[in-house]
Amino acid sequence: MRTYLIIALRNLLQARRRSLLLTSALALVTALLILLLSVSAGFNQTLIRNTTALMSGHVNVGGFFKNKVTDAWPMINDVAKIRKIVEENTPGLDFIIDRDRAWAKVISERQSMFVSPSGIDIQDESQLPEVIRLAKQSEYLEGGSDQVLGNLANLAKPRQALIFVAQAKRLGVDVGDYLTITASTGAGRTNTVDVTVAAIAKDFGFMSNWNLFLPKADIHDLYQTTDDASSVVMIYLKDPDQAEKVMGHLRGVFEKEGYILMDHQPAPFFFKFETVAGEDWTGQKLDLTIWSDEISFMSWISQALDVISFSLIGILMIIIAIGIMNSMWISVRERTREIGTVRAIGMTRFRVLKMFMTEALLLGFVATCLGTLLGTLSALGIDAAQWQIPSEAVRAILMSDVLHMPVSAAQMIHVIWIFTLITGLSALWPAFRASRLQPVTAIHHAG
Amino acid sequence: MENIVELKQVVKEYPLGKLTVRALSDINLTIEKGEFTVIAGPSGSGKTTLLNMVGCVDTPSSGSVTVRGQRIEQLGDRARTQLRLAELGFIFQTFNLIPDLTAAQNVEFPLLLQGTLTKKERQRRVAELFELVDLTPQIKQRPNELSGGQRQRVAIARALVTQPGIVLADEPTANLDSVTGLNIIDLMKDLNQKRQTTFIFSTHDQRVMQHAQRVIQIVDGCLSEGAPAS
Repeated sequence: MRTYLIIALRNLLQARRRSLLLTSALALVTALLILLLSVSAGFNQTLIRNTTALMSGHVNVGGFFKNKVTDAWPMINDVAKIRKIVEENTPGLDFIIDRDRAWAKVISERQSMFVSPSGIDIQDESQLPEVIRLAKQSEYLEGGSDQVLGNLANLAKPRQALIFVAQAKRLGVDVGDYLTITASTGAGRTNTVDVTVAAIAKDFGFMSNWNLFLPKADIHDLYQTTDDASSVVMIYLKDPDQAEKVMGHLRGVFEKEGYILMDHQPAPFFFKFETVAGEDWTGQKLDLTIWSDEISFMSWISQALDVISFSLIGILMIIIAIGIMNSMWISVRERTREIGTVRAIGMTRFRVLKMFMTEALLLGFVATCLGTLLGTLSALGIDAAQWQIPSEAVRAILMSDVLHMPVSAAQMIHVIWIFTLITGLSALWPAFRASRLQPVTAIHHAG
Repeated sequence: MENIVELKQVVKEYPLGKLTVRALSDINLTIEKGEFTVIAGPSGSGKTTLLNMVGCVDTPSSGSVTVRGQRIEQLGDRARTQLRLAELGFIFQTFNLIPDLTAAQNVEFPLLLQGTLTKKERQRRVAELFELVDLTPQIKQRPNELSGGQRQRVAIARALVTQPGIVLADEPTANLDSVTGLNIIDLMKDLNQKRQTTFIFSTHDQRVMQHAQRVIQIVDGCLSEGAPAS
């Protein structure tokens, strides 16, 4: 193998300009892919962090209650019992909380909008205060001060609301202003509660458009329910990757306990109102979901990022693969007599193939390693610099003010081996043709 | 003596556009073990084609070529490659060393292909051969750092390193000056006598023919045996 490597390395060095050009091109494409993948990974990390802080646990036990067939009320009874079942039967459990959820209209003096208010107990919430950053007045009010008004702790008091900058701008409100929230109750009536804006938080991209936080008691007042009712038990796991498996396990547990479960539908609860209202049953059904179900309508962003990344890289890789193939053809042509010689002295066809493949793989490996290093350093540099995203639209899509670009070791290893493999595959045909050269004609090649 | 090479009614034809060119016509030839044989003839007479047959890098259009008891036209590519590796050594007119490897690595290369010796054994055998061809100081140099004569000595060492039964040399002195060329022939003859290796080489140089034990003349693809030139 050492001899193959020596021959490959020396050949690459001999065709210095060609090798340098190919190495640079391949390294740049690799670096670009690492950067694009890190943007995608950053988005996914932000997505899971924001989702699990704002609107979902890793696994959720929610459900609907129907007094009559046409109802679709996002509440479940006897939450204490459900929590107990979850606590006793969830493998890898970190902690659980429960929240109330609603679908309501929020009205200010100037505007109104539909939102999905969450009823929380701020004392129980551990993740939410970590991710919420309160906004300066100037961020939502023209001519406002750079002072942060309001306080998250105010949510411990009744009739308080935490809203986001985008909502504050649309509704035209400031901290201390009143809002009216109106929703249909389980009894089919419309009820309202008036709340004060306790704090205004920085946006979380699209998610800021429909999330709003109230004390639990306010949701109970709005829906006129008792304290033992709630909307969702949010389960946080030590390993979020186990969410789907845990959900499957809990479905079995709840079925055994005699609960009726809805079929698993990967959608947020507020997408299910119409379906539930159209189903022919009354009473309560539990609905188990995982965090990605609750934001399934946003998966297009992640998919779009991946499609853009892979399309771009795919096109560039095709161009580079053609370049590598062409370079290998030139190499085979230049070394035809050498091929004839080594075949004559006893090298098998397979070993000739291996000799040329080693050259391509070596080039691919070195280039992708360099590209990965370049891409990783650039991504980590941008990440560390907390680079502010200038475009509001991009901020909304990525759900973050700064570009978050993490790079994992697994990602780097995957990129290196996949690109090296592609380089090797590009060289396969020229290498195969080289191995099929007849020694008698190759030895006397004049080129 | 043992017949190491045997050609019977060998014909070799090449297609050339719509024509067929006959390079060898009805060749019958036997070479015994330990011979130092020259195949002589003018350019285009079929010397190289004949060497290619004996060297198992080409197969006859008809007739049979037997090398070390194996009918090469009946062997597949892999078996012919194995036969070349085990039984044949090649010396080319243009040396054909691998430019990327040092002189020692070039000589070691066939041993690596054989894969039967340890690294230490390979190094020992390579060192012995460099001593034999009187090139020990150049062992670590690359081909482009060597003179023509030195390169051909490396090529001879490479041809001998696997201890083959037959060494084939296609005009080994053609690219060398006359003094160096004769030195190379002397070296080959010396090795032939010391090791009993069969040498078959082609040339059209009268001075080189003088050193041969047996001269086979070839003209227009047909053989005629001749005595060594005096």
